[in-house]
Amino acid sequence: MKDSLVLLGRVPAHPDSRCWFLAWNPAGTLLASCGGDRRIRIWGTEGDSWICKSVISEGHQRTVRKVAWSPCGNYLASASFDATTCIWKKNQDDFECVTTLEGHENEVKSVAWAPSGNLLATCSRDKSVWVWEVDEEDEYECVSVLNSHTQDVKHVVWHPSQELLASASYDDTVKLYREEEDDWVCCATLEGHESTVWSLAFDPSGQRLASCSDDRTVRIWRQYPPGNEQGVACSGSDPNWKCVCTLSGFHSRTIYDIAWCQLTGALATACGDDAIRVFEEDPNSDPQQPTFSLTAHLHQAHSQDVNCVAWNPKEPGLLASCSDDGEVAFWKYQRPEGL
Amino acid sequence: MAGSQDMFDAIVMADERFHGEGYREGYEEGSSLGVMEGRQHGSLQGARIGSEIGCYQGFAFAWKCLLHSCTAEKDSRKMKVLESLIGMIQKFPYDDPTYDKLHEDLDKIRGKFKQVRALVSSCW
Repeated sequence: MKDSLVLLGRVPAHPDSRCWFLAWNPAGTLLASCGGDRRIRIWGTEGDSWICKSVISEGHQRTVRKVAWSPCGNYLASASFDATTCIWKKNQDDFECVTTLEGHENEVKSVAWAPSGNLLATCSRDKSVWVWEVDEEDEYECVSVLNSHTQDVKHVVWHPSQELLASASYDDTVKLYREEEDDWVCCATLEGHESTVWSLAFDPSGQRLASCSDDRTVRIWRQYPPGNEQGVACSGSDPNWKCVCTLSGFHSRTIYDIAWCQLTGALATACGDDAIRVFEEDPNSDPQQPTFSLTAHLHQAHSQDVNCVAWNPKEPGLLASCSDDGEVAFWKYQRPEGL
Repeated sequence: MAGSQDMFDAIVMADERFHGEGYREGYEEGSSLGVMEGRQHGSLQGARIGSEIGCYQGFAFAWKCLLHSCTAEKDSRKMKVLESLIGMIQKFPYDDPTYDKLHEDLDKIRGKFKQVRALVSSCW
């Protein structure tokens, strides 16, 4: 496992503050970071090093908790503790605020664009998940306010190909939502974690969902549509989701983020013990009971809690991470020999 | 002989008997006080919910009138969602506190109100 994760470089992205989240643009050429200093920075390569190409310093009154690029790469959404979500339009190295989405009652914890680019989801400490629709004229309208969770909602993520939304919460559950007759409804609740679920990631096919939690485990959930071969019962026309794998004993603290590489299938985790870990599915594992092995474990990846890990969407093995220490680090991951 | 046994029983069992009577009296009094307190508490909670829903209904009716003259296509979503909120409020079973989906439906109404509020705020 030595040398499977190699440091390429570090940048002091949000000095004297925390760096909360990272997002690669769809082309894989830019990395957006956001932090407790209320700023968003855009990083790009210049030769071998990473430099700051843009800074968005106006726009939010409090910590920016998450950023997300639209599928076309022309827009960036930012979710802030000031209860708003800003949409920025990219014009070369400049970013202009096209609209501010209001409505949440307190800290917005996450924002995510649907693959179609027409829908956006936000979630908040006010326990709700909001779905927004955007039209060709950059007009945003709230399509639904979902009050299914009973506590702070930490993260939202869209399915890679279906219009299916997933959310993770302090109430220890993961919920899934879909559209039904002009409104959105909660179509599944995934129970099993014993504490706050911090983050989620779909696998490249969208058949499986990985969740990570304060209970120090990663759970892999699999979708079973009605009439499935394995005989898993479904109620109505909604698929049933079952936990098919639990990775426990690998993390010594809360797992804050999980990222599933859409190119290689590798799973990276960001942990409160300052380490980054990578897992890969064993080659001949049973799809109904998959097994994953730890292929990289980097202690002290940062000097404080690692808050986010993000795989580059175009370059296999390129991983970015950020931490409470305010730094962003870039890593090269190589699957170890003999696995 | 039977008579003197009853007499001793009455003395020996006096303690237990008084405990029993006291418990029963206390239980009855406590129960009726509890029912009164519960009734007050329930009325208060019910009034709160009624007030909240009433506020949403008033809001919805007011905006329905205000938007009545708007015929732009964009406003059709606003009207549709307003009608949906009004419908949900009217359908709610106010006289059945044992309705099993009470909290679920209340949360849906709250969510729908927040959506309406967000949609009409762009009309200012």
